[in-house]
Amino acid sequence: MASRVSSKGKGKAGRGPDDGSTARCVKDWSTWAMKKAKVVAHYGFIPLIIVIGMNSEPKPHLSQLVSPV
Amino acid sequence: MGSSVGDAAAPPLPPPPVGLAVALPPKAEDKSERKVDYLNLPCPVPFEEIQREALMSLKPELFEGLRFDFTKGLNQKFSLSHSVFMGSVEVPSPSSGAIKVPTAHYEFGANFLDPKLMLIGRVLTDGRLNARVKCDLTDNLTLKINAQLTNEPHFSQGMFNFDYKSKDFRAQYQMGNNAFYGANYIQSVTPNLSLGSEVFWLGHQRKSGIGFAARYNTDKMVATAQVASTGIVALSYVQKVSEKVSLASDFMYNSMTRDVISSFGYDYILRQCRLRGKLDSNGCVAAFLEERLNMGVNFILSAEIDHQKKDYKFGFGMTVGE
Repeated sequence: MASRVSSKGKGKAGRGPDDGSTARCVKDWSTWAMKKAKVVAHYGFIPLIIVIGMNSEPKPHLSQLVSPV
Repeated sequence: MGSSVGDAAAPPLPPPPVGLAVALPPKAEDKSERKVDYLNLPCPVPFEEIQREALMSLKPELFEGLRFDFTKGLNQKFSLSHSVFMGSVEVPSPSSGAIKVPTAHYEFGANFLDPKLMLIGRVLTDGRLNARVKCDLTDNLTLKINAQLTNEPHFSQGMFNFDYKSKDFRAQYQMGNNAFYGANYIQSVTPNLSLGSEVFWLGHQRKSGIGFAARYNTDKMVATAQVASTGIVALSYVQKVSEKVSLASDFMYNSMTRDVISSFGYDYILRQCRLRGKLDSNGCVAAFLEERLNMGVNFILSAEIDHQKKDYKFGFGMTVGE
């Protein structure tokens, strides 16, 4: 009975022995990547705009970034 | 003969203030014998901007309290903005509709505006980030990203849009968090009429919907209609009465909640000020004034009187910088 259950499982998967856990790995990895991407975007988006802006032509001076004039 | 109509892509007219961006054939003397060249129709407005003129006139950003915005340009493309707000904000609460919460925040923003790349970021004192990215990947394909990121988990939202613009149609594909997928398509059918439709699918709630929209505009008026399978019917009509004045009206019906709302408004664009006012079928009267005091200095007044709920909101503010 146990062998029948295991063969039914293998037939259903078709591709690999642990197909279900592979899909779960991919989903977990993509969730982890999205969480890290969200943190990176949260902290890094405004600095990214500032860096891109300070390097655009004509280059503004660093003091212009903080002075209110 | 057809080339004079097909040449509609570059009219030398000044841009109309209401923002009718559809390039219309020039009002030349041969109006009576103008033949429609169906292979050379103008590009329609994007699907989400179908009601753009009505929204601009009828839904100004009303606020309550003090608002101060300072925009400092460092060069042509790059600018920083500082914004202070002290006042009440309506927070939807499950118990009794919306409740007013007094808030005060400072918002720092950075904008980078390039013809090909636009980056706008705004961060508040409580750590919320509003990010908008618009990038032209090719001449016809544009990527837009819109995100609100918060420190609290599960409250962040993001949306990716891919826009494809062709000669007389536009298509858009959207992907958002919570497994939201949507697509829309709009096509110019005649030089004045464009029809579009959209579909969306919400993964987590297993809901899907489809909607249709139509927009008819001439250089004096814009009429739009939108129907969606979520039970919403929205109609709007904007008439440009003169160069400075336009009138708008709007009707929305929600068949699920049996809600009907209709509003009528005006939009005066004068040399020194812009005054928008509206009157609602819910007994709400609102007005929004932007007065140009000096070059780059604008004074803002906002008023909203809701007679039915007895809610009176008045706000004032100042905007310095472009």
